Amino acid sequence: MILLKDVWYLYGEKPAIKEINLTLKDDITYIIGPNGSGKTTLLKVSSLIFRPTRGEVLYNGENPWRDKKKLLKLRKKVVYVHEKPILLRGRVIDNVAFPLVLRGYTPSDAKDRAREILREIGLESIENKRRRELSAGQAQLVSLCRALILDAEYIFLDEPTNMLDIENREKIIELIGKKKAKKIIATHDLALPLQLTGRILLIKDGKLWGEITLDEYRSMFLNIH
Amino acid sequence: MEEILEITLRSIIVSLSATLLSATWSIPITLFLSRQKTRTANIIMSFFNSLVGIPTVIVGLFLYMILSSSGPLGFLRILYTPHAIIIGQSLLITPWIVSLSYEVFVKARNTYWELALALGADYFSANMVMLRETLPDLLVILLIAFSRAVGELGVALLVGGNIRGYTRVLTTTIALAVSKGEFEFALALGAMLVFVLFMIALTIRLIKAYKE
Repeated sequence: MILLKDVWYLYGEKPAIKEINLTLKDDITYIIGPNGSGKTTLLKVSSLIFRPTRGEVLYNGENPWRDKKKLLKLRKKVVYVHEKPILLRGRVIDNVAFPLVLRGYTPSDAKDRAREILREIGLESIENKRRRELSAGQAQLVSLCRALILDAEYIFLDEPTNMLDIENREKIIELIGKKKAKKIIATHDLALPLQLTGRILLIKDGKLWGEITLDEYRSMFLNIH
Repeated sequence: MEEILEITLRSIIVSLSATLLSATWSIPITLFLSRQKTRTANIIMSFFNSLVGIPTVIVGLFLYMILSSSGPLGFLRILYTPHAIIIGQSLLITPWIVSLSYEVFVKARNTYWELALALGADYFSANMVMLRETLPDLLVILLIAFSRAVGELGVALLVGGNIRGYTRVLTTTIALAVSKGEFEFALALGAMLVFVLFMIALTIRLIKAYKE
């Protein structure tokens, strides 16, 4: 369970998120809000990439920022996927295998596992391509595969269906749904919470504005459309 | 021709040594500064940025005063040696390396470093990932700095002394040849210098093309 207690994060003197009190324990939690509302910062603070400027992020009751060893250990169980895919130099297969290599897998074992997940998504034909040869959608898929290859306890996804066509969107949603990890998803894809149901939180101007039920969300969604 | 090749080789060795020497402090300094988000770090970066355009004779003069027999480092007795030129050129290109690599490191910290952490890397591995990803850009920056060093005159003349067969490099030889009215020799040396700079530019293009 992740607990955020009065969490603030400031860029310079400007708060990107403020007064966040939140418990993340559901299988899927959605963070929904307009651009610049603080979704990405909230995800980065919750996933231990950013240290909160004020307040505490507690994993199972402990603040990992107080103990470097615990922080590094926890980071192996948490994965965050950027909104804009960041791929490393090298081939697609090297990128997907990279998190496993970080965890001590031999390069050949890591690549075998990477091939499996690429096959699952139908990306085996691009495993030898380099990042400059990929479309934006393919890069997004590779970035997601790289995170989903891990058996992480928490997966933070920032706009996971952004840039994907309908077919690939469905594949990714299926893959995300299969993962046993607790998923925290920031999204603009308003249809996503209706396909993969979960807890829905609203954020605006860096503050959590509350939680809505799936029924409330559904009627809101139908009103918009 | 033999003399031209000897001078060219000396120029390359001296400037390459200066570039590598400068990299040993410039890159760690920049890595450190790129991590800081404080006002002091900004002031230090502004200082380095302002030194990019410093005239080479000023650096030469400063070093001459330090290394001359009455200067604080006069006991080292390295004035008018290739070592003095190497030190002078390494100081001259430090602001170039720091200023150019700062942007590269800041961008890499927000992307590759953060990505490595997001995928479970420890800080050491994240730094290694960042360095690996920025290596082609760093090589390009070092080549730019090298081209600045090999083409400068003020430092080589003031602290090298343009001693034939010892501290004479391409730029100082060109200056001397012009002053003696040996324009053909000066032009041949000039062509060699342009060739060296052209090879650097070509290498930069190749690195950029194959950096994936």
